[in-house]
Amino acid sequence: MAESASTSQTLQTSLWRAIAVYRIAALVYVTALVVNNIGVYAHPALAWPVLALTAGWTVFTTYAYADPARRRPPLFLADLLITMGVMASSGYIVGAEALRAGKPTLAVAWHVAPVIAWAVAGGRRWGITAALAMGATDLVVRNHWDQAAYTGTVLMLLAALAVGYLVGVAQASQQRLERAIQLEAATRERERLARDIHDSVLQVLALVKRRGAGLGGEAGELARLAGEQEAALRTLVTGRSAEAVDEHAEVDLMTLLEPYASATVSVAAPAGAVRLPSAAASEIAAAVAAALDNVTRHCDPGTKVWVLVEDEPAAVTVSVRDDGCGIAPERLAEAESQGRLGVAQSIRGRIGDLGGTVTITSAPGQGTEVEMTVSRVRA
Amino acid sequence: MVVDDHPMWRDGVARDLAAAGYEVVATVGEGQQAVRIAPAARPQVVVLDLQLPDISGVEVISGLLAALPGVRVLMLSASGEQQDVLDAVKAGATGYLLKSSGQAEFLDAVARTAAGDPVFTPGLAGLVLGEFRRLATEPAGEDPGTPKLTERETEVLRLVAKGLSYRQIAERLVLSHRTVQNHVQNTLGKLQLHNRVELTRYAIEQGLD
Repeated sequence: MAESASTSQTLQTSLWRAIAVYRIAALVYVTALVVNNIGVYAHPALAWPVLALTAGWTVFTTYAYADPARRRPPLFLADLLITMGVMASSGYIVGAEALRAGKPTLAVAWHVAPVIAWAVAGGRRWGITAALAMGATDLVVRNHWDQAAYTGTVLMLLAALAVGYLVGVAQASQQRLERAIQLEAATRERERLARDIHDSVLQVLALVKRRGAGLGGEAGELARLAGEQEAALRTLVTGRSAEAVDEHAEVDLMTLLEPYASATVSVAAPAGAVRLPSAAASEIAAAVAAALDNVTRHCDPGTKVWVLVEDEPAAVTVSVRDDGCGIAPERLAEAESQGRLGVAQSIRGRIGDLGGTVTITSAPGQGTEVEMTVSRVRA
Repeated sequence: MVVDDHPMWRDGVARDLAAAGYEVVATVGEGQQAVRIAPAARPQVVVLDLQLPDISGVEVISGLLAALPGVRVLMLSASGEQQDVLDAVKAGATGYLLKSSGQAEFLDAVARTAAGDPVFTPGLAGLVLGEFRRLATEPAGEDPGTPKLTERETEVLRLVAKGLSYRQIAERLVLSHRTVQNHVQNTLGKLQLHNRVELTRYAIEQGLD
């Protein structure tokens, strides 16, 4: 997922920039409070070096967090510990009396920045952990338990929760968007290939097939092979791109089978969607395509085909029946013994891989029916 | 009576019907108009395009059946709107044909509809089959009022969906042609009855009796 890393980088970058902005704004607030309250501090002289440290750390983290390579646990831990240290120093500098009177700590508001940073970096759990640690420090430093003290901690906890959650959601949707973009690019590329192949290779193959068909013998065999490849190639380039999505996602089998309906092919199915895992659906569609292909290859033009899709709770059954020439049982056996019968094998193989069963019934003059049943219960 | 919003199609169908010896009592381009004039025109068979500009096919069928109980509706449609076809059948249409089917097929379908026999395409059989399966798997499936197909009916419907003619089905299942027809008709009857029961139940629940 190299590309996805690069694009979700932009989201991360803007989040870290937001944290830096927050930290700077909080620093301004802290400075104003220190200037305002310095008169009541127990040890006012020490307030300035701590404020300098706060400012220095703000500048450092602004640069450090901007670099993805440095956003690692040591930095996060240092951020949390230094902020906790600044806060803890308030106990001595501001003094217990002033704190009890409701004066803020030296890290007020500023102390939320590392909590948010943890939430952005590690999601809800990290965010909550940092919020609890910071909240505990805050309560210990203040050393008195009134509602205002709790409210600050609870707000911080909620902020961590919300930010962690939002980051998760944003990342998931970002990934979905990236997947969609990839899919679209793949589809466009496939369409371009399809056009090219259609204009060149397919035409030639079709021509070979048509001219060679009348020649018989080895040329006839070549023509047959060319025809097979032409059909396969056509299926490949015109194939829907539904299989490009997640393998485990479910798709409506009918979106794959409906396109086969034509003047000679009737597709009967339930009105609703026939949902199957996309891998299974595309295998079934390929098997149906092979069966339809077989009809066009071996039967007279204009032979009608009926495809029936049945959706049951336990299994999906797809039948492909034609009213063509049919296959004599001895020919079927003979072909099988010669290792030919590619179609039957390919259908059996595909459906067999899905744990399904295939029944092929045929008689000369009565057409052929291929019935494929794929169980919904996963093996 | 021919109901279709496409004038050329409408006239063509009317001409074909007249040539085949049917009396065309009315040609209409809109659903509401069809329902309005049906009592006066008294058609036996209505050839109905499922997509009309004003009201839905289902509304036309219910309107026609209310105005003229016993009228038979053969619907025509271009392919693709499966749910509409299914709804129309539930509302009481007894036949369905694709617009792309040939003239002979069409006249045969009209004749069968007039005789009271259902006209099924394989596609419609697939839809009906799917609908019964859906009803059976619904949470309310245990409800004794939910219609179920007998094994024979399912077998017959499956063969219709696979494109076998009634004659071929009769041969394969060693039944008479008439019996096959009855089975198909019963499946439709069950679905339409269920639809009426559901509608009534809905009306009572909503307090609109």
